[in-house]
Amino acid sequence: MEHTIRTKIMTTINKRMKTYASEVVNLVKAQVNREYTVKEIKTNDDELKNFLFTLGCYEGETVTVLSVLGENYVVSVKDSRYCIDRDLAEAIIV
Amino acid sequence: MKVALTGNPNSGKTSLFNAITGKIEHVGNWAGVTIEKKEGEIKRSLSGRDTFITSVDLPGAYSMSPFTSEENITKDYIKNENPDVIINVVDASNLSRSLFFTTQLLELGIPVVVALNKSDLNKKKQTVINVVELSQKLGCPVVETVSSGNNNGMEKLISSVVAVKYKKQSSPFDSSGVNIADKREVEASDRKRFELVKNIVSEVEHRQVRSSRQTRQDAVDRVLAHKWFGVLIFAVVMWGVFSISQTYLGPLVADTFVGWIDSFRGWVDGLIGKGVSPVLSSILLDGIIGGVGAVVGFLPLIMVLFFLLALLEDCGYMARVAVVMDMFFKRVGLSGKSIIPMIIGTGCAIPGVMATRTIKNERQRRTTAMLTPFMPCGAKLPVIALFAGVFFNDSAWVGTSMYFVGIALIIVGALLVVRITGEKNAKSYFIMELPEYKFPSIKRAVMEMLSRAEAFVIKAGTVILLCNTVVQIMQTFNWKLQIVAQGAEETSILASIASPVAILLIPLGFGVWQLVAAAITGFIAKENVVGTLAVVYGITNFIDTEELALVEGATDVASVMGLSSVAALAYLMFNLFTPPCFAAIGAMNAELDNKKWLWGGIAFQLGMGYFVAFFTYQIGTLITTGALGNGLLPGLIAICAMVGYVIYLMRVRKSIPSIKIGLSG
Repeated sequence: MEHTIRTKIMTTINKRMKTYASEVVNLVKAQVNREYTVKEIKTNDDELKNFLFTLGCYEGETVTVLSVLGENYVVSVKDSRYCIDRDLAEAIIV
Repeated sequence: MKVALTGNPNSGKTSLFNAITGKIEHVGNWAGVTIEKKEGEIKRSLSGRDTFITSVDLPGAYSMSPFTSEENITKDYIKNENPDVIINVVDASNLSRSLFFTTQLLELGIPVVVALNKSDLNKKKQTVINVVELSQKLGCPVVETVSSGNNNGMEKLISSVVAVKYKKQSSPFDSSGVNIADKREVEASDRKRFELVKNIVSEVEHRQVRSSRQTRQDAVDRVLAHKWFGVLIFAVVMWGVFSISQTYLGPLVADTFVGWIDSFRGWVDGLIGKGVSPVLSSILLDGIIGGVGAVVGFLPLIMVLFFLLALLEDCGYMARVAVVMDMFFKRVGLSGKSIIPMIIGTGCAIPGVMATRTIKNERQRRTTAMLTPFMPCGAKLPVIALFAGVFFNDSAWVGTSMYFVGIALIIVGALLVVRITGEKNAKSYFIMELPEYKFPSIKRAVMEMLSRAEAFVIKAGTVILLCNTVVQIMQTFNWKLQIVAQGAEETSILASIASPVAILLIPLGFGVWQLVAAAITGFIAKENVVGTLAVVYGITNFIDTEELALVEGATDVASVMGLSSVAALAYLMFNLFTPPCFAAIGAMNAELDNKKWLWGGIAFQLGMGYFVAFFTYQIGTLITTGALGNGLLPGLIAICAMVGYVIYLMRVRKSIPSIKIGLSG
């Protein structure tokens, strides 16, 4: 009985800690229609990073997921609309 | 004086170019339409009688550090050709991104004029830009432009261009101290650049509608780009395009057309009278007028098709199609972007193949370039129409099924390429800009249609005319230059060349020299298949595009050709799915940029054509007559050899693992 109470307390504490600590969220897990700030572009592909940069998608800039179309995500960056696939959405950490 | 037009993709550069030069270069409402630079002279009415200005329309670029081949062209041109003035076309609805490139251009020391384009869209969204202040902050003239209509700002634009020539260009941002080789320094400098742009925009632009909010566009996108619904809508749209051009509007116009050709022929016939030798008269009436006429009769169908395709490209739907098809194309190692060249390919394979340049991933680009010709193009339409009319009672399913077979072959081809090059685990990203929807410009579509029609007529008047004449002559004479007697046609030049090849095609059901000759001329232009058949079988009187039916005696034509329906279908498929015309192969060569891929592609196309025709004929004959067709065994051996080689290629590559991370889309 003690054991179950303890496990219960631990799980509750863990749950609370998770919501207070900064969760690692990428665009796939992001909420629709909410503005996020890009924290990192997680990829080994330099070319991709540079390309995204010229569109205005880099650390410190805002990005919003406007809608989800199956495996694709419509995002808004610097007043432009782009459609990206799941792989790319996973690489944009917010 | 030289003026360069540059700016972000899809900002309206080409439309502006057309407006100031009076040309009708191809436009489309998606990023990546212009892939080569185009030159033209600015209209005298704008530039003034004393000045002669050439303007160059460059492909779009997001920045000077080039990642795509289009951006390379832009960077090289500006650095090497030293234009006198640069017109930076900026999409007014998108300053925050566009001005990044602008500030880079301003640093080049060449006078810049900013054309603030698509200003009409801004008015609709109630976004206000303080043009005067923007001009002051950038240090260059800013002219509001709209690419169509009468009050489009072109005069003001060109007069500003003339005014700034020879002036020194200042720049609000100075990156001269940055060491280009140090990545971190460049990155830091670029960030500062974006900060500057942000500041400028915040002071100069006032928006009512925040772009990070969903709009009606997104609601529309959710339907049109829906996972399943979107595919259905796309299928309906394409079906609509083809049925309008082939079944309804097209043939209607073709009626009158063919009427003219017929009367023309009759007039010429009366003119030359009985006095001229029958050989000459035959060459003129049947070879030239008849053969070319048979092809030109299909022109209206093709014109309607191009008109509809232009509308489709202009409204902004193409980008959504790429999104919808991405899910399916990913399964075969391609991306959604590959669908656009294929759609364009239904008009003509040449611009279709060239459109593959927007695909960044090399393997995907090459695969798409190689597979695009499988989509039946406008030149193949007459062939489809002819066979549908003669053998299948004009049934609409013939044409439709050919497109589906084309798609099936593309899927198979893509899978084969993936297996052979072994890049199954390559992680590639898809990103596609979604332009705003707009009502397609009818005027532009008409211009596009007329320009294609002109190209077609020129082609008909030169290449096809020449081919038909040569074919007519080759079939009339034998090697000793004597006229071939009636019933001894096999001795003609044409027959002696085509017969050896015909033996190879017996397993496919059409090992007859006339058909082979027609197929061979098809490589010069696919329309020639119709023309040559008309000449060789002397059936010019029968071919009439009235409702895609033959005038008298469809059965007569069928019996003249001596083909069963099954064999006819096999022949049709052979012509559709073998390598395209030489011009298209030339375009393939330019895009593939690699001899191995080129010959591999051609071999693949030949193999596919043979494969498809073989099985259609053999299995079809089995089903309809219960017996197998001619030449089953040798054909089977040939097929097995081809398949064996392909499997060998796959095995060889499988042993080389390769994990590449490439940027696709």
